[in-house]
Amino acid sequence: MIKQAPVRFSASLRFVVSLSLFFVVFALSSCGGRQAGSGKARTAMDSTLVIAMLGDADYLNPVLGSTVTSSNIMGLIYPSLLQSEFDTSTGLLNYVALNKKLRQTTAGEAKKIPEGAVARSWNFSADHKTLTYTLRSDVFWNDGKPVVSGDFKFTYMLYGNPVIASARQQYLAELVGAEKGQVDFDKAIETPNDTTLVFRFYKPVPEHLALFHTSLTPLPAHHWKNVKPGDLRNSPLNIEPLGAGPYHLKSWTQQQELVLASSPKSLLPKPGNIPLVSFRVVPDYTVRLTQLQTGAVDVVENIKPEDFTALLKANRQLEIKTVGLRVYDYVGWSNIDQKEYHKSGKVIPHPLFGSAKIRLALTHAIDRESIIDGYLKQYGVVCNTDVSPSLKWAYNARITPHAFDPARATALLKAEGWLPGSDGILQKQGKRFSFVLYTNSGNARRNYASVIIQQNLRSIGIDCKLDVQESNVFFENLHQRKLDAWMAGWAIGLEIDPLDVWGSDLNKSRFNFTGYQNPRVDQLCDLAKQKMDPLGAKPYWLEYQEILHRDQPVTFLYWMQETQGFSKRIEGEELNIAGSFYNIDDWRLRPSANIAQ
Amino acid sequence: MLRYILKRLLIAIPLIFGVLTLTFFIIRLAPGDPAAFFIQPGISPNVAEQIRAQYGLNDPLPVQYVKWLANVLQGDFGRSFSRAQQPVVEVIASALPITITIALLTLVANFTFGILIGIISAVRQNSFLDRFLTVTALFFYSMPEFWFALMMIILFALKFPLFPASGLNEIGAEGFGPVGFLLDRVWHLVLPVTVLSINGAAGIARYVRGSMLEVIRQDYIRTARAKGLPEKLVIFRHALRNALLPVITIMGSSLPFIFSGALFIEVIFAFPGMGRVTVEAIFSRDYPLIIANTFISGTLIVLGNLFADVLYAVADPRIKI
Repeated sequence: MIKQAPVRFSASLRFVVSLSLFFVVFALSSCGGRQAGSGKARTAMDSTLVIAMLGDADYLNPVLGSTVTSSNIMGLIYPSLLQSEFDTSTGLLNYVALNKKLRQTTAGEAKKIPEGAVARSWNFSADHKTLTYTLRSDVFWNDGKPVVSGDFKFTYMLYGNPVIASARQQYLAELVGAEKGQVDFDKAIETPNDTTLVFRFYKPVPEHLALFHTSLTPLPAHHWKNVKPGDLRNSPLNIEPLGAGPYHLKSWTQQQELVLASSPKSLLPKPGNIPLVSFRVVPDYTVRLTQLQTGAVDVVENIKPEDFTALLKANRQLEIKTVGLRVYDYVGWSNIDQKEYHKSGKVIPHPLFGSAKIRLALTHAIDRESIIDGYLKQYGVVCNTDVSPSLKWAYNARITPHAFDPARATALLKAEGWLPGSDGILQKQGKRFSFVLYTNSGNARRNYASVIIQQNLRSIGIDCKLDVQESNVFFENLHQRKLDAWMAGWAIGLEIDPLDVWGSDLNKSRFNFTGYQNPRVDQLCDLAKQKMDPLGAKPYWLEYQEILHRDQPVTFLYWMQETQGFSKRIEGEELNIAGSFYNIDDWRLRPSANIAQ
Repeated sequence: MLRYILKRLLIAIPLIFGVLTLTFFIIRLAPGDPAAFFIQPGISPNVAEQIRAQYGLNDPLPVQYVKWLANVLQGDFGRSFSRAQQPVVEVIASALPITITIALLTLVANFTFGILIGIISAVRQNSFLDRFLTVTALFFYSMPEFWFALMMIILFALKFPLFPASGLNEIGAEGFGPVGFLLDRVWHLVLPVTVLSINGAAGIARYVRGSMLEVIRQDYIRTARAKGLPEKLVIFRHALRNALLPVITIMGSSLPFIFSGALFIEVIFAFPGMGRVTVEAIFSRDYPLIIANTFISGTLIVLGNLFADVLYAVADPRIKI
């Protein structure tokens, strides 16, 4: 027998112990290092507002930038012709120049300072075809050159250049020449002198739309004139923006951090209150939450309602702010037989969801209130149509939501010939009421809602299978009209323009995924567009909502408030449906010494 | 040996090229559209078309392939779709050093801890310490890295705020001076490297334990002991050297695992490294960037394997290559 020698292993053990000790010491020493630097760090924090972002900005060039982050940042860097403000008492957008307002707003409802606008005033011709701006002569780009009318014309030519493929080229659709496919810039935009800017439209345009479409952000022409349109996307100037707004770019470490510094000489409207604003990229949601709790960041957008309690309990220096209502979720039912439509181009009703009565039954069967109670809580409202309750001037308050009523749903289905089969699932002429409800992955709210919907439908004898697809795949299938039933959402614009989503011409209405067709809806949209005053279109929009409520092209689920986490050290913030960073240049930071620990 | 390395490198060229070609076709045939972002209400339908034309996506697939091939052969991987047309090479040049730092630190930590724990377990076979280490190692080995990372963040960044939860540096770190800056950087690396290496070390410890146990029972170890050599010498010089042979192969092949681990870690800890670049490129269907990332990771895997084979020959004179 072999006797094992007694193993003396003290050396290795000693090594392990010393190694762990090293790590402890190391950890402590680095903490010490932090404390030593924390005086400096605290001063830095007191003058820096930190906003957590999901992803980085793309281009800091208004012609190209297309993400919300870019828009937020560019809004602080670049000048704007007009200031736009959202009047919460009416739900109308208002446009403001230094000495003129589109409409008078109730005091305290809208908070934009007119000094932020480059335009001194404007004059709109009686035929609604010529808009003449008078510009201020006292505003300058950061390099000292004046902001002139030529800058606006120069930039509009870039916006309209197909080689550049600007996402905002739609704004030029009413300018002279656009009706023939190419804007005639010589005639459409004139600059008789540095402070006069004239826009000409080929057809009468409502004043608010004219102002909206002509107030795109300008670039400094003298800075950009040597860049060829084909090279615009690759130009190094995109990462060194020259602006005139309350902030300028201080540094940008791509995919990490973008820092803006207050511009001391800005007159549009004034230098930003907080010296530095840092936009930090933190891709993971849990980490964004953690950083908000520890105070490493001050603002985190889109916090899920389920996290509120823990967040506020962990850190009393936080608060949840809400914005809305601009976003809704819905269950889409294919109104037409998509397969037949793809094959022959013929429009015939969908075998399951083709009838408005069936879709109404489905809406009655879905318990929208319990989805709201269970997930969104006080941050959700039942949705009737795609006109938001926030757009008070157009919202039809007389519509009562279709109640959760399984008995009525069953009766409606029975009247349409759907009767329970031997397996408990409804049948009609041997066909079972069974379908797949698709949604995109990574959305906790939709997952939650889809499970409730599945249970609700099962209880009235409808077999609903759930399938979650990767977002790219899901949206491609949706755009190609390949899905019979799905759950998705829309964020609405502040101008009502629903033809893209409900228009009867299925080739033109690219977002009419359901294939819904109702000539009266087309007619109402056209009539509303012809009104030169938006309020004049109110009756059309009221009728439009009644029709959608009756036809139920989709089951509208709920409107959601966007919920943003804010540190209480921020003061003066004014959140608005137009954006969470609506007046960021007016925010102030309380010094850390004043914050109760 | 040099000839062998050269031969392997030459074989690697068509291999990587084949991988790139496959990737080229797979991503283009997969559903999803790089211009999908521009298909939304309020944006002219022309925009998506113009963007596709800019990206050269309207050509037939074989034409796209030939054009791509011509560019790649000239060393041009194109410009990123999703990152503001930044040249792909630049994107990678800024991301790669970060990932390599994490990977190297992890590799070192992996093997240091893995080998140590393995030796202890083997030498003290069936003792309480061995059982404890084995269970702990299995526990960590079976834990998903992304979940472990989040738990570590909750524990060490939230409950006991010792380490930062994300980023490479603190705000205003530039003002800490070069030493302060470096310390701050290291301080930010502690959590991610720990997460990545604990998982790997646990696996390596199992390997080392197994191979060590085999070696310890060999006759030459008994001979060494019989000669009266101190135990330390027997374990480290005679046993360990032989026991490490299979572990060396793991070193080469663990590179890809560390890289894929860095994928989660970089997204969670907000490091702008290769992992995050890859994930974001895939989600936004950024074809040039996906291909370039495949090229980098493919090359690293091939080199890692070659490195392992060479190391094998260096460590074991019986193996001739």
